[in-house]
Amino acid sequence: MKNVFVRIGLVVVATAVCTWIIPGVDDAIESVFQILVLIAST
Amino acid sequence: MVILKRIGVIGLWLLLIFSTAVVTAAFKQRFEDGPNRVFSGGPLVTGELYRGAEPDWGFVNEVPTLELQLLNPAQSRRIWVASVQGKMYVWSGYMNSFVGQLWKSWPAQAELDDRVVVRIDGIRYERRLVRIKTGPVLDELMAVVSQKYPSRASGADVESGNVWVFEVAPRATADSAVGDQA
Repeated sequence: MKNVFVRIGLVVVATAVCTWIIPGVDDAIESVFQILVLIAST
Repeated sequence: MVILKRIGVIGLWLLLIFSTAVVTAAFKQRFEDGPNRVFSGGPLVTGELYRGAEPDWGFVNEVPTLELQLLNPAQSRRIWVASVQGKMYVWSGYMNSFVGQLWKSWPAQAELDDRVVVRIDGIRYERRLVRIKTGPVLDELMAVVSQKYPSRASGADVESGNVWVFEVAPRATADSAVGDQA
């Protein structure tokens, strides 16, 4: 069980760092999020 | 059964990754000069600060959105805008719904501190928000809104409190707010 939490933590940190550092990733994520919000609101 | 379980686990991992990326992107935007499309941004820093006479705001009906920043808290968002009789208006819908009350925090914040900065086509204007609850201008405004955007809001929606409308009005002491942004 502890191993699972470590894996989750690693994935969260790696995802956050990649989103923050790699140019354009945050913009792409926002685009997907915007589409999901539009679909949910219609 | 094993395959379904594996698909479920993969789905949860993907959901975790996407959720983390969304939260990170939204948080990162708070440090940027203005909002992006959906996520709120930081203070509006760049752009010439307009200091002339109050313009005829009719031109904003040709502008898709504007960037609106409150001074307290110093966060900005991209919102719809319309003009009637030369005045500029912004609004927020879904205010009577649970989701709207969670999602739309800026209207209540604007009632506490009405000072704002709006940026249109790269020019910043120091203004204040004056809430409009009733009046004949609402029906005219909502007609303009319906023509410009896919919105079906009416003056009755404003009077019921489901849509909060603000006039973007001149600030009496506009100069004093410049230092507050820093």
